[in-house]
This record gives sequence, C-alpha cells and structure tokens, in this order.
Amino acid sequence: MALTGRFVLLVALGVVPVVIAGLTGAPEAWLALVGWLFVVVGAGAVDLSIAASPRRVAFARELPERVRLGEPVASVLVVQNLGGRTMRATVRDGWEPSAGVDGANRTRLVIPPAERRRMTLRLVPVRRGDRRTAQVTIRSAGPLGLWARQATLAAPGRVRVLPPFHSRVHLPSRLTRLRELDGRTPLLIRGQGTEFDSIREYVRGDDVRSIDWRATARHIDPEVPGNARLMVRTWRPERDRRIVIVADTSRTAAARIADEPRLDTAYEASLLLAALATHAGDRVDFLATDRRLRGRVHGATGPDLLARMVDTMAGIDAELLEADWSLVPGLVRQVTSRRALVVLLTAADSPGSSRGLLSMLPQLTSRHTVVVASVADPALIEAGRQHDDLEAVYRAAAAQRGLDDGERVAAAIRRLGGQTVSASPPELPPALADRYLDLKASGQL
Amino acid sequence: MSPPATTSLEAPPPTAPDDPAAPAGATALTPTIRATLRRRRIWIVFAALVALGVLAINLIGGTARGGGPLLGSDNAAPGGAKALVEVLRGHGVDVTPVDSYDLALDAAKSGSTVLVYDELGVLTADRYSKLGLYADRLVVVAPDFVALEALAPGVRLAGFASGPLDDVACDVPAARRAGSLSDGQGLLRVDDDAAADGWRGCFRDEGDAFAVVTGEGRGGEITLVPATTSFENGRITEHGNAALAIGLTGASERLAWYLPGPTDAAAGEAPTIAELTPGWVSPVLALAVILTIAAGVWRGRRFGPLVAENLPVQVPAGETSEGRARLYARNTARLHALDQLRIGSIGRLAQALRLPRAVDVASLAEAVAASTGRDPVAVRQLLVDAQPVGDADLVRLAGELGDLEADVRARLAPETGPGRRP
Repeated sequence: MALTGRFVLLVALGVVPVVIAGLTGAPEAWLALVGWLFVVVGAGAVDLSIAASPRRVAFARELPERVRLGEPVASVLVVQNLGGRTMRATVRDGWEPSAGVDGANRTRLVIPPAERRRMTLRLVPVRRGDRRTAQVTIRSAGPLGLWARQATLAAPGRVRVLPPFHSRVHLPSRLTRLRELDGRTPLLIRGQGTEFDSIREYVRGDDVRSIDWRATARHIDPEVPGNARLMVRTWRPERDRRIVIVADTSRTAAARIADEPRLDTAYEASLLLAALATHAGDRVDFLATDRRLRGRVHGATGPDLLARMVDTMAGIDAELLEADWSLVPGLVRQVTSRRALVVLLTAADSPGSSRGLLSMLPQLTSRHTVVVASVADPALIEAGRQHDDLEAVYRAAAAQRGLDDGERVAAAIRRLGGQTVSASPPELPPALADRYLDLKASGQL
Repeated sequence: MSPPATTSLEAPPPTAPDDPAAPAGATALTPTIRATLRRRRIWIVFAALVALGVLAINLIGGTARGGGPLLGSDNAAPGGAKALVEVLRGHGVDVTPVDSYDLALDAAKSGSTVLVYDELGVLTADRYSKLGLYADRLVVVAPDFVALEALAPGVRLAGFASGPLDDVACDVPAARRAGSLSDGQGLLRVDDDAAADGWRGCFRDEGDAFAVVTGEGRGGEITLVPATTSFENGRITEHGNAALAIGLTGASERLAWYLPGPTDAAAGEAPTIAELTPGWVSPVLALAVILTIAAGVWRGRRFGPLVAENLPVQVPAGETSEGRARLYARNTARLHALDQLRIGSIGRLAQALRLPRAVDVASLAEAVAASTGRDPVAVRQLLVDAQPVGDADLVRLAGELGDLEADVRARLAPETGPGRRP
C-alpha cells in the first residue's frame, strides 16, 4: 500500500473545517478534526478497494541484444492488464544504476482491462558488461488517486554493453600503412618478412633487378615469335601469422589511470590490434587471464572476430588477485604450436609485482615474438616536473622513482628477449598498432 | 525529466480463461499480506504470547504490590501506607483518601484529622496556613521548607538521624506509647522562639534535634514528622513506629488522608496557554502532526526494492607514488629524494646530449657544461656532490636541476627550432 500526494493534500485541507468549527469552541474543533480524518481515511480505503490489482499483469520486453558503451538504447516494456478493472499504474523498471536510465524511471500508464500498453525507457549505460533488470514495480492507484496498491513482479531483462572501441579512429590511418606493406601494392624488393606473391609482366619503371629470367624464358610472346616477354617477381608481406593477445585481468588491471582502468585501455589496444591484424590476413586469438582463464576467443576471423572479442570482453572485470603468469605459456601453446606474436597487456611498472612475468618470459621468448604493452601513468610524468615547494619536490622524487622502476622492468623484459610498448592510455592502442606494423614490415612475425 | 513515451497497442483478441495462448501473468515477488502473515506466524504468536504475559504480570503484580504513590492509602508496596490505613479502619476510624485541596479543606473544617504528605512540593504557603487554621489536628509528613515557614516558623530541617531513637523526651501520648523509633528518621530543630511559642520535640537524637515536633498552631494541634519511615508498610512494624503512626492519625474518628493530586499542581494564578489561544489551535497542531506522518509515509514509501549491483573494483593508480612521497617527507629523506631526481635528470640529459645510457656522471657533467657554458665544477656539484642541508636547500637544488635540463634543451633545440632558422 502507498499514499499519494493527493491524499496528503486532502489531509492538509482539513485545516479549513477545523478552524471554522474552532471559532465556536475547542470541542467542536476536535470533533471536526476527527470527522475529517474519518472522511479522508474512508475515502482512501474505498479508493484502495476499487484499485486494480497490480499483481495481475503480464510483461513482454523488447531489448536489443547488444549495445556499445556510450550509445543510447531503448528499453521497451509491454504491460498487459490481466485483471478486470482499469489500471492506473505508475511503473518503475528495476534496472541497475549502471544501466543509466534517463529520467526518473516513473512511467504512468492507464491500461483498460485485457489491454496492453507499451512504455519506453531510454538507457545510456555507463559501464560495460551485462546490465540487468530483474523486476518491475507497479503502483496501482484507485480512481480517486488517494491510496495505491503496490507490488513488485519478476520481469528479467538484460542488455550486453560492449566496450566502446574508441581507438577505432586510429584504424583508417593504420590500414593505409598496412596497404602499403600489403600485397595490394606488390613489392618488387625481396626483403625480410616477405613471401613470394606472383610473377607478372614487366612494365616500365619496375626494378630491372627483379626480372626473373627463368620465367621470362618460359613465356614466349605469341605475337612476336622468338621474342620472350620479360617477367618480374613480386613479393608481398607474410600472411597468416598467428597473433595471441593476452590481457591480464589481475589486480594491477584494476588501477585507474587517467580516469580509465588499465583493463579498459588493454581492451581498446587489443581491439585496434585485432582489427588491424585481421585486415592484414593474420589470425588473432584473444585470452583474458589472471589465476584462471577468464575469456578466450579462438579461431574467429574478419568481422566475426571483433564481434566475439567485444562480447567476451564485456563480461570480464578486473579481480583483486595476483596474476599467475606460469599459466600463460600453456595457454599460448593450446592456441598455437607455431611461432606467433604474443602480446601481453599488463602493468610492468614495479620489479616486485613483475617478478612472475619476468620469470615466465623466457619460456615465451624462446618460441615466440613477445611484446609487453603497459600503460604509463601521465600523472607520474607530470608530477616529476613540479619542483615548486617541498611537497612537490618529494612528490616529484617519488614519481621519478616510479618511472625508474618501470624503466628497470622494461630493461629486464628487453634483456629477456621481449619488446616493450609503454604509453599513456589514449596513446597505447595506436602505439601497439604501430609496433605491430613495424614488426610486420621487418618480417619478425 | 522527459516523460517516457507510451503508445497504445490494439487489444489482443479476447481469450477464454483456459485458452493456452493466454499470456501468463508475471510472478509477483512481493508477498501478499496473507502470505506475510502465514510466514511470520510463529513470530506473531510469540509476540502475542509475550504481550499476554506482560499484561498478566502487570495485572497480578499490580494487585500484589503495584507501583502506586508513596504513602498511598491503598498502596500495598513497601513504600505505601495501606497497612496503617487498614489498621485504622479496623479500629473504626473513617479514613478518606483525598487528592484535592478543596476536599482536604472541607474535611478539615468538618473536624477530621488531616494527614498531609506533599511529595512533590506543590502546595503553597498560603494553602498550608489555611489548612493549619481550619484543621483541629494536622499531621504533616515530611514537611518541606514552605510548610515549615507557613505552619511552624522557627522549626528547621536538621538532616537525618543516624540510628534508632529511644529518647522520647516529651509527654505526647502517642510518643510515650511508641517508646522508640526505628532508624531512618528525619530530624527537625526547634529554635528558642518556636520553643517559646509552644513547639516541643519528641525523640531527641544526640544533637538537639527531634524526629517528631508538635505544637499548637493558630487553629489546632499540628504534628510535624520529617520522615515517611514510620508510616510505610515496609517499616511500620519496626520499634514503635506503628504506635506513633496510629497514635498520631487515629486520635479522632475521621481521618482525611491527603496526598495532593494533579488538580493541585496546576493551580497557578496565570491562565494556561489553552485558555489564551483560540479553540482551533490544538486540533490544528494535532492535524499538523498527522499531516507530517502522512507526508512521511507518502515520500518514504519505497517504490519497490533497492536494486543491488556488483561494481568492479577500481584502484586509483597514483596511490603508490603519493604514499612514497609522504614516506619521504615524514622521514625527511632529503638526500634520497634529491638523488631520485638526479637519476632522472641524468638519464634525460644523457638522452638529450646523445650520450650512451650508461655514461659516467663526470663526463656527462663535462658535456653538459660544454653545451651550456656553465662551470663544470658547479654542474658536477649540482648533479652529484651537493648535499641538501635543509628543506629550502632541497627545493632550490631540485629547481636548479629542472633549470639545467631546460637550459640544455634550449641550447640544443635552436638548431632545428623555427626561431634561429636563417
């Protein structure tokens, strides 16, 4: 049961009869007060007794399966009145706060018996993952709108909010660079990281050193007997390399740098790299792990890859666990037995917390090319430049110490045969993509 | 708030109740009132039993020993006076409990003995004087200052006796019969003027104070007993308490047992607030209270249960660095902090000057001095040797390090910078 503002107003109006009666005497005023309360409560009770039951309803939901973080989504709820009375309902859909219901989430519906009404809420989710609603609360007021019946009913719903992939703005420029490397602009120079593409006829401007004389001898010009056509070899960058992206979801990934958790930056970088690599014809696998395998995308290509990656990422959040790096070589071996590019997205910022990573790294570098990508904290660099007062100096010293630690870990990684990429959150995805392109161009995949 | 859009759908085709295509109603999560009652049945029964028990204990205990006022004529508790009253009635004394001053005054005028016990001190001096004027025999139990001033000026309160009293010291018949009194008696002192007026004390203690004082007031005999001990159910049987109490109160056929009641308390001279305000004010105040409760229920009623959400853990990354900075500051690790800054500066300077990472500091200092034109000794001093002697010194050195870096960069930059281009 619930009261409405109208009922409270009605109670307040009782001051008029009480004052009027009070002009004749106190007992009359008391009598007027009691009488008024009887009238008001009676009206409320009558109103309540003829309100429609909020329990006799059926729901249907219309929800999109997925939505990208930051984009609005329309949540449609169809309420059907199964009772025999007209329902004057106020409806609250029990979305999680992170689902970001726009407005007050109080929808007024008037539903005649056996009819349906559709209500639409605009959601702007503020957090990725599965945003759920479990219940709908209906407050059904009587025709006078004094008292209302209230019930909460089960009406589960779910929207999967995908990572935003802001870094896709960097994709076109990287694809252009890729195309320059790729077979669509065939290379005439054999270099590292290239494989034989085709033999085609010489056109003016080709490097004479790339003429394949044996092929030329086999290609007799049919129009001019005795003359051979000059054939040249073309090359293209290697394709069908394996790339394994390992995202660390342990406690270090929970750290919030420049208002973005490390894990989200890692997701952005993974998505950009995956999009680029799948365009380049490489095969990408994604693993998320801390002390156990949290998510895995294996054997997907093209647009399906990105869709499955964002779907996998959506539900994974950082946990306060120390990462177990000894798992990673085994996981990588399950994905591929061939040489691969292994990208570890983690935090390599202090020797203490990176010990596990460093002890595991030789197992990977002996078989694979390893890139350790980590987020650098721009606040540290900024703090290192401030020398205004004593507090700032101490802070600068501490920041410098932090940067040195990170540098020391990076040096250790390089000594163990890995490569490092470190950049601030907005710059890490393009930096990682550039490193991939460099590796591809130099044939180190 | 933008009102969410609502649109009407066409009604579904009318369906018979047993039509399998009829939509299944949603499951209600809120239990019905009946279900709640059924689920909480045990607790409701338990609460009812507890309530019944409390009621029963109150009923039984109320008759047995109930709270009641001190020296209440029908109060059977240790502090009451039912024992004395019943004994007096058994001896044919007509005891009338009185709780208003007017009735007490009427009784006094009709010749009753009047016992006054004003526990809360509500009677005024005026009223005591009037009682003393009309009553033939007045017993004042535990008189306060006002009562003494009005009835027996010159008799003063004098604390409490330290033990039983057996020095009767007077010829009042009741006191003679009593012989001794239990401990717990209050004391009064009679000064010379009062003694001259005929006030005399009984049951003297070691000092010159008495547990009972009698005298002739303006109207009749007045007895002052400064403690309730002799009249209480719990103590009346000790020593001669009973003899004294019966002797003082049972001297005439009728006794008015006057304990001032609520009507006496509010007998102020000023009109009350209720008399000054119009009749509707109190009901309107009551309405305001009801309105507040109703508004509270209106706004406070929750619109369905709270929705719980599991939030991911997030840690501000700067905490480690901040903590380390505070640690340096607390330990005043000036040299350590400065060395950290120097390590950073040396690395950046080596990078700027295109020197190897592992260059030794001496040659770096020379290179820096050469590129900036500074004194090599001063540069070396800044980069390695200088020790900060105080906080100000540390800040100065840190600032100089920063200046040095900026200087080196400025010297190296112009070759490519736009400013110097010919």
